Amino acid sequence: MTRDELAARTVSRRAVLQGGSLVGVSAFLAACGGGSTATGAPASGGAATPAGTPAATPAGPPTATGPLNFANWDAYIDLTEVGDGEYDLPSPTLDDFAKAHGVEVNYANAKIEDNESFVATIQPQLQAGVSTGWDMVVLTDWMAARIIDSGWAEAIDPTNVPTAMANVRDELKGMPWDPDLKYHFPWQSGATGVGYNVKSTGRDLTSLGDLFDPAFAGKVTMLTETRDTFPLIHRYLQSQGKASDTPAEEMTTADAQVVYDFLKPYVDNGHIKGFTGNEYLQDFGSGDVWVAVVWSGDLASSGGEDDRFVYPSEGSAIWTDNMIIPKGAENKYTAELMIDFVYDVDRAARLANFIYYISPVKGVEEAIKKLDPEAAENPLLFPPADVVAKQIPQPAWDEETEKAINELFASLSGV
Amino acid sequence: MTSPQRARRRPTRRQLAPYLLLAPGCLWLTLFFVLPNIQMFLMSLSEGSVKQGFELTWAWSNYTEAIARFQRQFGNSLLFGGLATLTCFLVGYPLAYGIAFRGGRFKNLLLFLVIAPFFTSFLLRTISWKIILGERGPFLSLIHGLGIVPDNFSILGTPLAVVAGLTYEFLPFMVLPLYVALEKIDRRLVEAAQDLYAGPWRPGGAVLGALSGAALALISMSVLGYLPLDRAADVASGLVTVALIGGALGALVGWFLISQSFIRVIWPLSLPGVFAGSILCFIPAIGDYVNVELLGNPKTQMIGNVIQNRFLSQNDYPTAAALSFMLMAGILVALFFYARFLGTDELTAAARV
Repeated sequence: MTRDELAARTVSRRAVLQGGSLVGVSAFLAACGGGSTATGAPASGGAATPAGTPAATPAGPPTATGPLNFANWDAYIDLTEVGDGEYDLPSPTLDDFAKAHGVEVNYANAKIEDNESFVATIQPQLQAGVSTGWDMVVLTDWMAARIIDSGWAEAIDPTNVPTAMANVRDELKGMPWDPDLKYHFPWQSGATGVGYNVKSTGRDLTSLGDLFDPAFAGKVTMLTETRDTFPLIHRYLQSQGKASDTPAEEMTTADAQVVYDFLKPYVDNGHIKGFTGNEYLQDFGSGDVWVAVVWSGDLASSGGEDDRFVYPSEGSAIWTDNMIIPKGAENKYTAELMIDFVYDVDRAARLANFIYYISPVKGVEEAIKKLDPEAAENPLLFPPADVVAKQIPQPAWDEETEKAINELFASLSGV
Repeated sequence: MTSPQRARRRPTRRQLAPYLLLAPGCLWLTLFFVLPNIQMFLMSLSEGSVKQGFELTWAWSNYTEAIARFQRQFGNSLLFGGLATLTCFLVGYPLAYGIAFRGGRFKNLLLFLVIAPFFTSFLLRTISWKIILGERGPFLSLIHGLGIVPDNFSILGTPLAVVAGLTYEFLPFMVLPLYVALEKIDRRLVEAAQDLYAGPWRPGGAVLGALSGAALALISMSVLGYLPLDRAADVASGLVTVALIGGALGALVGWFLISQSFIRVIWPLSLPGVFAGSILCFIPAIGDYVNVELLGNPKTQMIGNVIQNRFLSQNDYPTAAALSFMLMAGILVALFFYARFLGTDELTAAARV
């Protein structure tokens, strides 16, 4: 019997040891997951001082290096038609860029799901002053401001981006955090409003109030970005006379508390199913989400044919996402070439006409009209005056307010 | 005098060998497990923000505040992780038993099938659960078609979806150790038991099955939140119905499947596998956050989600570190007691009797 006994003993010991090492492995993997962007792009030996090199070697023009590591949001680039109404990567714009400059683009689609959690993955590297592995990232105004304020963005050499300098729309210049576009160029602007699947809801929606229609209980989601969801619901409560009339950009912790108190019961009774990033694109299709707070162009470019976006009658939120070259980027010059490339009017027209967002490029209206006369009427590309009049900007919170409001939002989403 | 020297040196080398063999593992663990943990521990006692930097102030309040604030998520973790482990066991034991005792020449193929899901990314597998359990998925279409649930009944975003996802994900971790334990059992012991009148055990099996079936039904229904606990009148009838159904099913299984030789020989000898399997399931299950992220809702958030949110969204590293540490400590304490009561030494002793 001793042999069996021994066998049983070894088995369990080994199994337990395995358990121990598995825990170790998972801890290790988790640690890697957080910092995977650091290892994502191979760090070449001479990458330590990529920023200073163009200046340090004045002789000879800079050459494009690559591949360009480009992190972007989902549904934010033009795609190639692969079948009947089906589109997929590669993107014609990026392909053209590769052809024009002889550099591949390593495009990470949907790498960014929300500003905070993406930046959290590159922040340790930025703080440590090492390359993040990305040459270009697309971040919303407030996050772009934070990155630039912290000195974590490479300065863009204006001589490398003449097209962009000439073509950027005037109203996008003069942001207090980077008035002369030294560190960023807008990628696209868009709105936050209400999206729905008309087959699921059975009717057309017009207002933010529709989010709380009991008929849609359990089929509603909102965005994980505090700055998207809170100001918009605040706007709704204002229209109902249930909240103070603080303008959105000055929204306070007290205002956020009002929004929290209003939303909390809807989360508790399951009316609001959750808070997501671009995942609603899949959930609309599967019928698991009927109505959601969404970003304007996504559903038109990547949703199903029954998915609709509406600028709510109470108002919508307007924002701009910006191209930023993170400090220590290995292919800074290539990133600048990319910025200049997408500011070409015709290319900008093609891009905007595909992703249904508002292009930052002057004169793009004419180019889009030439490309697709119907698109000139599209409210996603060209919001009508009455919509623009009711649009609210994203709030500018100081660190303390932001922390308090983020805490409220976290506890709303159950964490 | 060379021979005594050689005699002295040889054992030294032999003594050294195990340490040399251990060295890479130890080094790896020190670098990637011990050091990060020390750093995490120090972080958990710090205060500050990302912008200003964190300073070690021995702020033990990080722990007390975190535990006070995130009780519910700790509870969810324990309940969902525990239930998933239990379900893994219920599904995995018969499976492992079948493969070990009745697998025949298909044994290797069957084992391969058990681990086959690992060949795809676990993220993809969890996302496919979203489709399977989704509104237009096969499962809901079927039960909606049968008309046994109300129209707005859905599974995604409920504890059931989370537990189902966890169970699926960690099932192979349960099956493999169980299989190893069952496979090692000497068949002659079973024959000997049968020779010694260990035959069918119908009444005993039925009672045992009924009791565990009823208990299991009650536990799972209450963890999954399907008991109508908000109306007092329904509670009693609900409990009784659930317990009766569970009990009846359990009794049936027990009546037909539990024999005396199983309860006296196979079960005790397979306990080391049960022990290892449940640990391998339970530990990753309570720390998991992907399943909740994809299949849960705000009310089903587990502690892993809180840690993720604290680290990545709130930039609140100290609280996140404190939570991680408590989770780890909790697991260690639980393991200690588990090993104490189901300890491997006693198990092998039991097998000898």
